[in-house]
Amino acid sequence: MSSWLDYTINGLIVGNVYALVAVGLALIFGVSRLINFAQGSIYLVGAYIGWVAVVQLHTPLPLTIIVVAVAAALVGLIIERFGLRPLQNSVRIAPLLATIGISFVLDQLVMLTFSPNPRALPSQLPDVRFQIGGGTIEPLDLLIAGVGLTSALLLFVFLRYTKLGWAVRATAQDRDAAMQMGVDVNRVNQAVFGIAAALGGVSGLLVGMYYNQIDTAMSLQATLKGVVAEVVGGAGNVPGAVIGSLLLGLVESYGVAAFGTSYRNLFAFLLLVVVLVLRPNGLFASARQAPPEPLTGTFIAPSRPVRIPRWALLVVLGVFAILPLLPVSLYVLQTLINAWLLGMLALSLTLVAGTIGQVSLGHAALLAIGAYTSALLSLTFSVPVGFAIIGGGLMSAALGTALISPSFRLRGHYVSIATLAIGEIVSLVILNWEGVTRGPIGVSGIPPLSLFGYELISPTSIYWFSFVVMVVLALLQARLLGSHLGRSFRAIRDDDVAARAYGLSLNRYKSLAFIFGGFAAGISGGIAAHLYSYINHETFNTQQSILALTVVILGGLGNVVGAVVGSVALVGLPEVFRIAAEYRILIYGIVLLLLVRFRPQGLLGTI
Amino acid sequence: MSNIDRRTLVKGSLAAMTAGAAMSRGAFAQSSEPILLGVSGPLTGPNAQYGTQWKQGFDLALDEILAAGGINGRKLAYSFEDSQSDPRQSVAIAQKFVSDPRIVMELGDFSSTASMAASPIYQRGGLVQFGFTNSHPDFTKGGDFMWSTSVSQADEQPLLAQYAVRRLGLKKLAVLHLNTDWGRTSRDYFVKAAKEYGAEVAVTEGYIAEERDFRSTLVRVRDANPDGLILVSYYSDGALIARQARQVGLKQTICAASSVYSPKFLELGGDAVEEVHLGTRYFPEDPRPEVQKFIAGFKKKYNGQEPDAFNAYSYDAMNMAAAIVKIGGTDRRAIRDAFTKVKDVPSVIFGKATFDVESRRVKGAMNAELVVRKGQFALWDGKPT
Repeated sequence: MSSWLDYTINGLIVGNVYALVAVGLALIFGVSRLINFAQGSIYLVGAYIGWVAVVQLHTPLPLTIIVVAVAAALVGLIIERFGLRPLQNSVRIAPLLATIGISFVLDQLVMLTFSPNPRALPSQLPDVRFQIGGGTIEPLDLLIAGVGLTSALLLFVFLRYTKLGWAVRATAQDRDAAMQMGVDVNRVNQAVFGIAAALGGVSGLLVGMYYNQIDTAMSLQATLKGVVAEVVGGAGNVPGAVIGSLLLGLVESYGVAAFGTSYRNLFAFLLLVVVLVLRPNGLFASARQAPPEPLTGTFIAPSRPVRIPRWALLVVLGVFAILPLLPVSLYVLQTLINAWLLGMLALSLTLVAGTIGQVSLGHAALLAIGAYTSALLSLTFSVPVGFAIIGGGLMSAALGTALISPSFRLRGHYVSIATLAIGEIVSLVILNWEGVTRGPIGVSGIPPLSLFGYELISPTSIYWFSFVVMVVLALLQARLLGSHLGRSFRAIRDDDVAARAYGLSLNRYKSLAFIFGGFAAGISGGIAAHLYSYINHETFNTQQSILALTVVILGGLGNVVGAVVGSVALVGLPEVFRIAAEYRILIYGIVLLLLVRFRPQGLLGTI
Repeated sequence: MSNIDRRTLVKGSLAAMTAGAAMSRGAFAQSSEPILLGVSGPLTGPNAQYGTQWKQGFDLALDEILAAGGINGRKLAYSFEDSQSDPRQSVAIAQKFVSDPRIVMELGDFSSTASMAASPIYQRGGLVQFGFTNSHPDFTKGGDFMWSTSVSQADEQPLLAQYAVRRLGLKKLAVLHLNTDWGRTSRDYFVKAAKEYGAEVAVTEGYIAEERDFRSTLVRVRDANPDGLILVSYYSDGALIARQARQVGLKQTICAASSVYSPKFLELGGDAVEEVHLGTRYFPEDPRPEVQKFIAGFKKKYNGQEPDAFNAYSYDAMNMAAAIVKIGGTDRRAIRDAFTKVKDVPSVIFGKATFDVESRRVKGAMNAELVVRKGQFALWDGKPT
C-alpha cells in the first residue's frame, strides 16, 4: 500500500516538471491557436543561459532566474517579431511549420555554441530533504511547484482582470473583431510570446538543476510531454494545463508501477488519445466554450496551383528515368532512392493532410507498420519479397485506418496531436511487443529486394524499382484527385458542414483517404526494410513524420507533383549542405524558414 | 574538422561525385595525397555527443601516427560525414564512400540502426565497414566486409557479473538497462552469468534513452528488495539513476557497465556516484604503456581533459585502421584480407588486439575493477563499501 503512495508522490513530482512547459504552450495556444513547437527550444536556451550564469558568472539563484527569464523573453520576442508576425496573413499552417523551423535553428545554435556533450547544472538550493512516504522531496521540488502554480495563477489573474489580459482574450476569440475594437493585436501577441518564453526559459533552468544535467537533446522531449499535458488539460486553458500535467505524471507513474518502466510513455500517449476521443476540448473545457477551431475551413487556404505543362513533366520524368544511364555517381542515385521513398510517404501524407485536411504528425508509424509486416512476412513465412511489400502496404492501410478512425471526429490541430500520439504508440508497441517485433533487438537479415526471383541489389536496379513504384502511385493519386472521389475529399476539407449537408459521409471518405494513403506509405516502408536489411523501433521515428509534413507543405498541400518535388528538395538539401558539416542542419532550418516566409502555400501551391 | 584541408576535400568529393563511376580505383594512389578513411557518424542530432568524442580519439591517434612517419611515408586522414545516426543518411553516405575511389575503408556508424542499414551497401560495394562501437550480435553477420572491435557483450557482461556477485558478494540483483539492442543484449548476458555465479535477479527494468525521471522505476526496484543495483547504462543516464536512487533513499551497492566510464559520469552524478563500482577496460593508473601514452597524449592535446570510454574506442579504432592499412595498402580487398593477418596491435581496450577470423571480432578485452572514491575513479582495493 505504501508503494502506491510513493508512486502517487513521484507522479505528482514529475507532473510538476511537465507543468512548467505546458503552461507556456497553453498560453500561446490560447491566443494564437498555435502549437508552438519552438517552446522546447526556448526551454533549452534557458537551460544553457542558466548554465552560463551559474557556472561561469556564479550568480545567486534569484538573479539567475531573472537573467534567464529576461534572456528567454527576448528570444521569444525575436521569434514573434521575425518568425511569426510576417506570417499572420498567410495560411494557418505556416506558423506551425515556422515554429518547427525555428526550433531546428535554436537547437542547432545551442549545440554549436556549447557542444553536444551533456553538462552538469548544479542546483543552487540547499541540499535538505523532506521525508514523505518512502521517498523524499527537496526544496527544488517546492520551487518548481511554486513557479508552476504561481505562474498559472498570475496568468489567470492577468487574463481575467487586466486590460491587456482582456485584449489577449479578445484576440483569442476573434482577431478581426479585436482589431476593429482598437486592440493592438501585435502588442498582445508580443506580450504573450514574451511571457511564455520567459516561463519556458525558467523551466529549462529549473529542470536542468533538478536533474543536474542539461544536453541539447532535451528540447523535443520537453515539447512532446508539454503538448500532451496541455491538450489533456484543454488546449489554451492555463489552469487546465497544470492539472493536465499532474494527471500525465500520475498516469505515467502508475503505468510504471503496473507494467514496468518500458511502458511509461505508452501510457502517456494512450491518455492523450483517450482524452482527445472522449473530450476533444480537454478535460477542463467548459461546456459553453466555443470550439477551438473555426467551423468551416481548416488550416488550408486554397491557392492557385502552379500549372506545369504536360510536356515539361514528361521531359523531367524521362530525364529521371534514364538517369542511371548517364554518367552520374551512385551516391546521387542512392540519394534519389531516398527521395523516391520519401516521395511515396509524402504522396500518402499530401492526400490525407492536403486533400482531405487531416494533418498527420505520426505518419512514420505507417512506414513502420509496412516495414515490419514486409520484413516479418519474408523472414518468417518466406513470402517472396514483392508480395511481402504489397502485404506491408495492405497491412499499413488496414491497421493505420483502424488506429486513426477514433480521431475522425477531431478537427484542425487536434488531428495533428492525435496522430502524433498514435505514431508514438505504434513505435512503443513495436519496442514492447517482443514476441512479434523482436523488441529492441530489431529485425536483422531482411532479404534484399527481389522481383520474380531476380534480386535487385545494384543501386541502379533499386533506383528504377523505387522510381517506377513511386511514379505509379503518383499517377494513381493524380487520377484519384481528378475523379468524383477527389472532389468529395476536397469538399470535406474546405467545408465539412456543407459537405455533410450534401450527403457526404465524412467518416467513410476519411477512411478511404487513409486506406489509400496508408497503402502508399506501407509500400515505402516495406521497400525501405528490404533496402536496409535491418530495422528497429527507431528506424521510423517522429523526426521522419515531421520531415514528411515539411515536404508536403513545402510542395503544396494536396499537390502530387509538389510532394515529389518537395521530397527531392528535402532529401537533397541536407546532402548538398554536407560541405558545411556541423552547420548543415542549421542552414537547412534557415532555408526552411525562408521558404515558409516567402512561399507559405508551398512551391507548387495547394490543389 | 578532419585534419585534411576542407577545400581539397570538397573539391575532391565533387570530382569524385561527377567522375567517380568512370575513374579507376588506383587513380588517386599518388603518394602525395593522404590515405583517406571514411567515417560515418553523428555530428548533429540526438547522438551528436558521441560523434564529437570519436573525433577527439581519431585526431589524437592520427597525430601520433603522423609523428611516427605516417603509413610508409604517407599521411593518414579521414573524411567525417554526419549521419545523425539516421539510416536514411547512413545509406547515402555508404554509397558516397563506396563510389569515392580515395576512400580505402569506412569506420562507423554509431547506432545499430544506422550502421546495419548501410552494411548491405558496403558489402556489395566491397568496402570494409569497421564498426568499432557496434556490439549488436548480428552486425558482423552482415558479410565478410563487416569487422568490429566493439567489446562483445558476451565477453564483457560475465566480467561485470563476476565483479558484482563473486567479488562484491551481491546475492539479489536489480538490473536497470537501456532498452536498446545494446542494453537488451547486455542484460541477457549479464543475467545469465549472474545466475551461473549463484545470484538471483529480482527485477529487470528497461528504459528508453530519453528518460530522465526514474523515481517510479526505483520504487519498483525498492519493492523487489535487492542488495545491489546493476546499471547497464551510458554515463548520462547512469548518473541520473544513481542520483535519484540516492535521493529516494536506496543505499544498496551500485555496480555499472563500463560505458559509464567517463569524467562526465562524475560531473553529472556528483556525490551520488561515490562508491559506485564499475568494470572498465582501462583506468588512469594502469601501468600498461599504451594506456599511459593514450592518457598523457589526450590530456596534453585537450587541455587536461580526461579521456572516456568512447574516446578510447575511437583512438583504438584509428590505430587499428593504421595497422590494417600498413598491411593491406590502399586496395579495398587487400584491406579486408589484412584484418585476418593483423596481429597484436597495441590497444587500450584489449592490450593486444587480434581479430578472430570466424566472428570478425576481437576477443579478450582487458578488465579492471574500479570504484568511485572522493570524486575519482580508483582501482578497487577489495574493501567492502
